Amino acid sequence: MDNTLFGYLNYAVYGTAVLVILIGLYGTMVKKSLLKVVIGLSVSDSGLNLLIVAIGYYKGGTAPIFSPGFLENFKSVSKMVDPVPQALVLTAIVIGFGVTAVALALVIRLYRHHGTLNIDEIKNLKW
Amino acid sequence: MVGTPVLFIAIPLLAAFLIPLLGMIWKELVRIVPGLVLTYLLILAVNLLVHVLAHGPVVEVIAGWVPPIGINLVFSVFSGFLVTLMIFLGLLVWAYSYRFKRNVDYEPALKYFLMLMMLITGSVGIVLTGDIFNMFVFIEITSISGYGLTAFYKGRDSAEASFKYVLLGSVASTFLLLAIMIIYSQLGTLNMADIANKIHLMNPTLKIVSYIFFVTALGIEAEIFPLNGWAPDAYAEAPGPVGAAFAGIVVKASVYAIIRYTFTIFDLSGAFNFLIIIGMITLIVAETAAIRQEKLKRMLAYSSIGQMGLVLVAFGFGTEEGVFAALFLMLNHAIIKSLLFFSGSYLVYNSKCKYIKEVNGMSKFLPVTSLLFALGAFAIVGLPPFAGFWSKLSVMTAAADSNMILIMVLVLMVSVVELVYYLRVVNRIYFFKKETAIEPKKPTFNALVVMIVLGVIILAIGFYPDVVTGVLHKASASLMDKSQYIHHVLSLRQ
Amino acid sequence: MEMIHIIFLIFLGGAVLTYFSGKISKVLQDIFFLASVLVPAYLFFAYVGAGREATLSLGGITLIWGVNHFSWLFSLIVLGLGSMAAIYAIGYMKGKKRKGYFYFNFILSIMAMMGILLSIDLISFFIFWEIMTWSSYLVTIYNGHDIQRIGIKYFVFSAIGAYAMLMAIVIVHHLTGSFLMSSMINFYPNMSLSMQIWIPVMFLLAFGVKAAMMPLHVWAPDAYSNAPMAYTSIFSGALSKMGIYGMVIVLVTMINQIPQGFWFREVIAWLGGITAAIGTLWAIKQDDAKKLLAYSSVAQLGYIITGIAIGTELGMLAGLFLAVMHALFKGTLFMVTGAIEKQTGTTNFNEVTGLIRKMPWTFIAALLSIIALAGIPPLGGFVGKWMLYESLITSNHYLLVIVIFFSSTAAFLYCYKFLFGFFLGQEEKEWAHVKEAPAVMVVPMLIMAVMMFVLGTFPGIILKPINSGLMDLGFVDSFKHLWESSVILNVWGNHVVLQPILYWIIGIFVFFMIFLTWKGFKTTRYVSTKDISSSGEVPADDENLTFSVGFMQPFMRAVAPAMRRQIDKYYNGIADGLESLFEFIRRIYTGNGQTYTIYVIVFVVIVLLFKNILF
Repeated sequence: MDNTLFGYLNYAVYGTAVLVILIGLYGTMVKKSLLKVVIGLSVSDSGLNLLIVAIGYYKGGTAPIFSPGFLENFKSVSKMVDPVPQALVLTAIVIGFGVTAVALALVIRLYRHHGTLNIDEIKNLKW
Repeated sequence: MVGTPVLFIAIPLLAAFLIPLLGMIWKELVRIVPGLVLTYLLILAVNLLVHVLAHGPVVEVIAGWVPPIGINLVFSVFSGFLVTLMIFLGLLVWAYSYRFKRNVDYEPALKYFLMLMMLITGSVGIVLTGDIFNMFVFIEITSISGYGLTAFYKGRDSAEASFKYVLLGSVASTFLLLAIMIIYSQLGTLNMADIANKIHLMNPTLKIVSYIFFVTALGIEAEIFPLNGWAPDAYAEAPGPVGAAFAGIVVKASVYAIIRYTFTIFDLSGAFNFLIIIGMITLIVAETAAIRQEKLKRMLAYSSIGQMGLVLVAFGFGTEEGVFAALFLMLNHAIIKSLLFFSGSYLVYNSKCKYIKEVNGMSKFLPVTSLLFALGAFAIVGLPPFAGFWSKLSVMTAAADSNMILIMVLVLMVSVVELVYYLRVVNRIYFFKKETAIEPKKPTFNALVVMIVLGVIILAIGFYPDVVTGVLHKASASLMDKSQYIHHVLSLRQ
Repeated sequence: MEMIHIIFLIFLGGAVLTYFSGKISKVLQDIFFLASVLVPAYLFFAYVGAGREATLSLGGITLIWGVNHFSWLFSLIVLGLGSMAAIYAIGYMKGKKRKGYFYFNFILSIMAMMGILLSIDLISFFIFWEIMTWSSYLVTIYNGHDIQRIGIKYFVFSAIGAYAMLMAIVIVHHLTGSFLMSSMINFYPNMSLSMQIWIPVMFLLAFGVKAAMMPLHVWAPDAYSNAPMAYTSIFSGALSKMGIYGMVIVLVTMINQIPQGFWFREVIAWLGGITAAIGTLWAIKQDDAKKLLAYSSVAQLGYIITGIAIGTELGMLAGLFLAVMHALFKGTLFMVTGAIEKQTGTTNFNEVTGLIRKMPWTFIAALLSIIALAGIPPLGGFVGKWMLYESLITSNHYLLVIVIFFSSTAAFLYCYKFLFGFFLGQEEKEWAHVKEAPAVMVVPMLIMAVMMFVLGTFPGIILKPINSGLMDLGFVDSFKHLWESSVILNVWGNHVVLQPILYWIIGIFVFFMIFLTWKGFKTTRYVSTKDISSSGEVPADDENLTFSVGFMQPFMRAVAPAMRRQIDKYYNGIADGLESLFEFIRRIYTGNGQTYTIYVIVFVVIVLLFKNILF
């Protein structure tokens, strides 16, 4: 029982992550306010990060942290979850942060220039 | 020893961070340092390329972690050629924009050169790296500096263009990460050579899905239709030299990434035809959209997109001839489109909206710039004896040898369209009367030198293509030899 | 370094030097210009003979240049007419702006034409073909008049042709592994049937555009009349012959090898005939000498195409002889028009009349070329047309003879209009100040007029080289038997039949002319156009009563239904349709970032849906 439940749970994590990504993309594509669009980008980033961490995780794994006396116990080393995705997520979070910052700065510029945050009204460049 | 690949990333990155500090000592250093750095890198790159041509690829291991665990950089003839080209263009962009706008004072200049250095770092990194996640990081570095450069001018609608770029760039990074994670979850490695070695173990469906995600993500940067919505706006609103940098550096790096994934990493048989299809659609849509443009830089942007489509088509033939043709096209496009952007920005320098009709009669005021623009236009449509002709000929030869008759017909028909809109602009420059009261701006000395250098290169390649074909042949052979790439990287394990 | 290399280098260096020397001194520029046309011409005829080859290796492709008797014949046209036009251009361009630009492209055109003729491999053929196209395009737009339409039209047609040729070239390279013309020709019988048909068609598309063959001719009248006249004389006289040159090669060396070749030749012959008829009708309609001559060029090229498409020895001889003659008389006529334009500022028949006393030498050149054009003995056009009729009749093309005969007769109308409109007719006060053109312009015209006379009387001078050219293309030397069977050819051969008669005709003609002139000077009274009255009405001052107003109206009314359908309109329709399609495509880029995001998602979804087909 434990096993199956955990299996479903595992998929549930993937499912949630994908759902969050899709919610973010939805916000990016549909919402008219620039701020909401930026939030949408952020949300899909978070979903992505969740997904990456979930990929590295496996059932009953422990945190990939070395502590004194840890290395002697080979079993506990093999029980660690994959550390690489977590490293990747750290990078991805930093990059996502940077992009969000740039996007927000641009939103401020756009607001000053156009006096509105409605994306439909900011269409000087077309065709 | 001729230097190591890591210098191409470390030095410009270091320079980018040192620029503000050096600026505190002497403001002019902000403008001078990038040039020195790029010159040094160019010498380094040429030396290393010569070395690589003679002795085979150089693989650099970062921080002692041998592949497939650590990150490695590969300077093969193929990637080395592109790196050399990018750094050369970077140097030209620097020289051109040294005093591009007089009213640009210390603070914006600082940002401009900082972001330019970051852009070059990122693009060079994309080409050199042998690790897919590392490539993601470099792509983000490139994109973020690209956002900044697009939004450089405060007076224009540049923020709008930049925001579109951010939007699509973020979507691109989402897809890229997804693709990377699919591969990692399946194969447990991020090293390109290692993935290429193990790719047959992968679930076929997931393999295709990850390939599609890769192409989507990189296609946004490489301006593939319908993913290229940001490109015309960004080209039109960014400063002129940045347009050249986008066309010559950023897009080249993204195309390199697509090609690396298609040729080396994945073993999908349909991928080549896929490249041909999306390349053809991009070519046709972009070139036909260009003909009705009202703004000069947008026209150049669409033309640039179309050329990249043609590059993808040429790669999609999958033969060594096709790769040779594509590389030749990339080289010519980098040089000629830069010349067009450089000279085009002076033709509409003081205009606010950059309409094509504002170039009317400019030949009287800017004779050299106009002549160089006309030269670029003639070269890019592939008229002999200019550089573009040889790449067009090699594309056609490669297409004929792959029995792609329909592709040839379409490409040539599109070439006629391209011809029409370039000739219309050149006619305007030379034969129309100036209508507007916009003051023409004489190019600065360094801009003029840069444009003339590019013009001379176009003529040199046109009259004597052998100056580049040797390297291009070796580069295409090095791309086609997949097993050797894997061998060179993974043999470091011992 | 072979002489051919040196010739090309002189052309190229000369063009650049000429362009930049204009910044120093105009005289120096003229000298450089003349030198860079005449010196290579001299070197070519003095030092380059059949069998000399030169090579150049570029980008892994070996370009080979050489000359055979056939290309030598066309080199004669190009360099001969080119030299005359160059001398003429010195006078014509005097005081005009953009002189360096004109000279530069003039020299490059001559170089490109020589390059085409000397090319043995297809790549250098294509390279020079394209250089010829853009240099002639640049001259076409020289005066900046309506260039977005005229210039672009010319370039688009040329480009479509050239790209078709490029396709044929790379396909041939794929099939044979070589860019050599000879390997293409040798391999041709082994190709699949579709390739046997498509490759000549693609080549003929390129050549048909340059030779202004019927559905591809629409650029020609505009481009010919828009270019400066000094250039148009080589544009129409020599540059269009490059199309003829290519056609002969394709027809003779390739199409003749397959049984379907008959149909090819029939179609092209008919297209040539129709071109001749259409060109003639439109030429009659024109009121502007430039346009008239431009349409007339189209018509004359039609005769030439018909001649070479018939494909018999006599037809070939006729076509090529007409090609040489056309270069001479049409070159001269454009020069005449240029001289009149230079002296009066206009070329409209309705404005300029009665120049015969003002510009007598120009008149003589015009008269002789008109006689040659109309095909009246003893000038060269007669010989060519006779041979053409003879070849058409002997090969049973009776219907085609009627078409050709019709257009050739109708050609008299515009010939007359040209001669009478400009030179005869009443003298207007407005043109009282007009003087003869400078000697540098008149002398080339007269030299060419004399050439026409000589070639008309002794056609063998040029028929001999044509014959050896055709032998180089693989024709058997059946000249000897033609010599005896054809009436007109005996003029120069051993069997003198027509020659005494011709001399009699010349004698009577000259005597008659002298008599008329002498008589005329005594009795003529010079009146203005307004010096008439009909039914007691005195014409108003603003009424244009020049001779050529409303010229040949009944005839034009009669043929009007045939001229209503202009091919031009169909092309314009296509162009408009394309432009609106492009406008639609442009609007894909809506300017909304969210739309672009949706495009991305849609792209991913579509590719994912079709992934099983794609991968």
